[in-house]
Amino acid sequence: MKTENNDSIVISVCTGTGGVASGGYKVIDAFKEELAKINCTAKIGPRTHKVGCRGFCAKDVLVDVEINGESETYQHVTEEKARKIVASHIIEKEPVKKWMVKEDYHNFHDKQQKVVLADCGKIDPEVIDEYLEKGGYKSAEKALSMKPEEIIDTIKKSGLRGRGGGGFPAGIKWESCRNAKGEPKYVLCNADEGDPGAFMDRSIVEGHPHLMIEGMIIGAIAIGSSEGYVYIRAEYPLAVDRLRLALDQAREHNFLGENIFGSDLSFDIKIILGAGAFVCGESTALMTSIEDNPGEPRPKYVHTTDKGLWGKPSNLNNVETWANVPIILEKGSDWYSSIGTEKSKGTKIFSLVGKINNTGLVEVPMGITLREIIYDIGGGIPKKKEFKAVQTGGPSGGCLPKSFLDKPVDYESLYEAGSMMGSGGMVVLDEDTCMVDVSKYFLDFCKDEGCGQCTPCREGVAQMVRVLEEITEGKGTLEHIDLLEELAAMIQETSLCALGTSAPNPVLSTLQYFRDEYEAHVVDKKCPAGICKALTTFTIDEELCTGCTVCARNCPADAITGAKKEPHFINQDKCTTCRVCYDSCKFGAVKKG
Amino acid sequence: MTNIVNLTINGKKIKAPAGMTVLEAAQQEDIYIPTLCHHKSLDPEGTCRLCIVEISGSIRDSIRISCIQEVKEGLIVETDTKKINNNRKLILELLLGRAPEAQSLKKLAAQYGVTKSRFETGESNDCILCGRCVRVCRDKIGMHALCFVNRGPQRKLTTDFERLSEYCIGCGACTNVCPTGAIRMEDKGDQRKIFTWDQVTAKFTLERCTHCNKPFAPKRYLELINKKAYTPKGLEYVDYICPDCFSSHDKVSDRRREMALMKSTVKWSVPRG
Repeated sequence: MKTENNDSIVISVCTGTGGVASGGYKVIDAFKEELAKINCTAKIGPRTHKVGCRGFCAKDVLVDVEINGESETYQHVTEEKARKIVASHIIEKEPVKKWMVKEDYHNFHDKQQKVVLADCGKIDPEVIDEYLEKGGYKSAEKALSMKPEEIIDTIKKSGLRGRGGGGFPAGIKWESCRNAKGEPKYVLCNADEGDPGAFMDRSIVEGHPHLMIEGMIIGAIAIGSSEGYVYIRAEYPLAVDRLRLALDQAREHNFLGENIFGSDLSFDIKIILGAGAFVCGESTALMTSIEDNPGEPRPKYVHTTDKGLWGKPSNLNNVETWANVPIILEKGSDWYSSIGTEKSKGTKIFSLVGKINNTGLVEVPMGITLREIIYDIGGGIPKKKEFKAVQTGGPSGGCLPKSFLDKPVDYESLYEAGSMMGSGGMVVLDEDTCMVDVSKYFLDFCKDEGCGQCTPCREGVAQMVRVLEEITEGKGTLEHIDLLEELAAMIQETSLCALGTSAPNPVLSTLQYFRDEYEAHVVDKKCPAGICKALTTFTIDEELCTGCTVCARNCPADAITGAKKEPHFINQDKCTTCRVCYDSCKFGAVKKG
Repeated sequence: MTNIVNLTINGKKIKAPAGMTVLEAAQQEDIYIPTLCHHKSLDPEGTCRLCIVEISGSIRDSIRISCIQEVKEGLIVETDTKKINNNRKLILELLLGRAPEAQSLKKLAAQYGVTKSRFETGESNDCILCGRCVRVCRDKIGMHALCFVNRGPQRKLTTDFERLSEYCIGCGACTNVCPTGAIRMEDKGDQRKIFTWDQVTAKFTLERCTHCNKPFAPKRYLELINKKAYTPKGLEYVDYICPDCFSSHDKVSDRRREMALMKSTVKWSVPRG
């Protein structure tokens, strides 16, 4: 059979980490196989290509089928579905409606403003030509025709601030690095994204590595640097491979190397693999790690723009910051600064995770409210549960309660609320979350991930974790809460690096907004959310129990007894408070208390 | 000429050369700031956080560590405020929780009114992880025999792969700079042992003094001294003379002593290596 037509057919399959994990490569093979089988030819294509993450990871594998510019998106595509899509959509011109994305997919995208991620999910990250067709590397070429001061001025005027957490104005950082004495100067990229549940930088590197490389080239031109480093986690193998490939392609096109773009400037980028230490995301620790020393922060009161890597002026920005740069140069600082709030310009990428319907990567203009992100884009909380808090800023951020849902999301308002922007992790917590337990989790993370050099962070955070453990085990008193506050204040004031000074944030913010929960743990010896095992008992409401036996069958401890169609009973001596009965009861008869 | 800057510490106007740290400037004026990880012959690392001071004036108001912060014109430093001392107390209490038996730490803590710790971790180790031993071995001796392993509270002082060190020369500098005596050196007969609380880090057989026949130093140590004294190629070091004999007229003839002295102090004009 031979199918011929005058169409242009492009099939784009998501092969971000989510896509690959859901079988993206197999889906591509299925499409190719099927198209070859029917010997399909078209005016353009059929081209089946892999694209980066488009954000809605919960619906992977996502596939766009574009015929003559008209695109339809399919969700949860498998090999089998792929074959049917070819038969129906491509041959018969009948899109398979039942497998297409639903309303929630459109809601997810409607309120987003994709600037950095605009091409992510549309172009093949492994083919440089696709980016070049869209005007790629034109900004870097433009930068070469500008004076370095002009570039810095453009970045300053755009209002771009560091996206890694600190929020320091990028233009000012570049300027101080440019003006610093010492040669050579280094341009560094922090791709050591380690926050639990965060995958913003990962998705950019996997989905559009050239954007970040181009940003670094522009930075190097502005600062006067000929050497760059990308410090990337070894735990991101796909990102590392695509970055390596992209760097090679950029070198082939003479965008990197000697005399870039035929100019008299030279600039090249090396990849350094991080060995899995969270603390290496801290700027000085990242630099000591590149220097082949243990990744420990340096206690210096001199900026790294003056004395950074190997004691030389170094400019460190994270992936997202660099990825913004080519766009600002292309579209101008006025355009960029028109997005966002007075002090926070542009868009910010968040990884929306936790108890949320639409898990994924979202890019929104600064100043959007948390409610819009969580309810309009995120589709709210699953199983109609109550929203309780949202944790922003990674392990050293804070938990914000319901009352902050209508606050704008920008650097200042999050900081004032006791949390921070961080690199953009956003973990949504529902009514079944114990805030003491959550702060214990994040603090425990900081405890294990701190380098261990300085006393306040090493000993202090460990002691705070111990105090929290005692509270969740029911051994807490009101003095425990005072001790937490005492230790937190000392750690904030005296720790060596930002990991230490911000480590108590989850505890302080939960103490500020959910103090009653702490008090319930230590005074009433109850865990209101029913999470802390020592403080929770489960009972069955005889009125509501229908005797369906589901709880008894699921109980791993054989603690539930009762005849069929008769109310059941939990033997508290045997009960391990594992919650299985509570979660499996369809009638709400199992009560926690 | 070095620039002299004016600053104020605890209300006292003082002058100090630029490049000096606030801690050094304070010590020069007999103003006490407690330290544990700082040692005058080592580069500061700023990890114990006891030398915190409140800084204002020409720098924005902040708490900083005086062993790293350099003096600056117009700096106003307070070393003994309530805020600072409360933080110091808590830091000392935390350290005491880790090393409850360390005498020097107990003494310092007592100065700040801390005699008991709420934070006992159950460790029976005097090491407070200040890193002085690691720095002296790495930066001064050049041997890298000691290192820290693990992160966070699991941080631990040890040798490479926690075995007897291949690099240790048995000089004992680490035991010398340790503020709590957590790393110690012991000579028994012709055996030298360097150990921390739970690990023997290095063992040596001591070379005997060619004069009094008393065992006195490990071979690796003597070889390093030899190398550092630029002994010319081809000339083997013939004598191992112990410090006692070296300084004593009775046991060594003046002539031999002169020869030995020459060997160790004369700068030979031969290329190194």
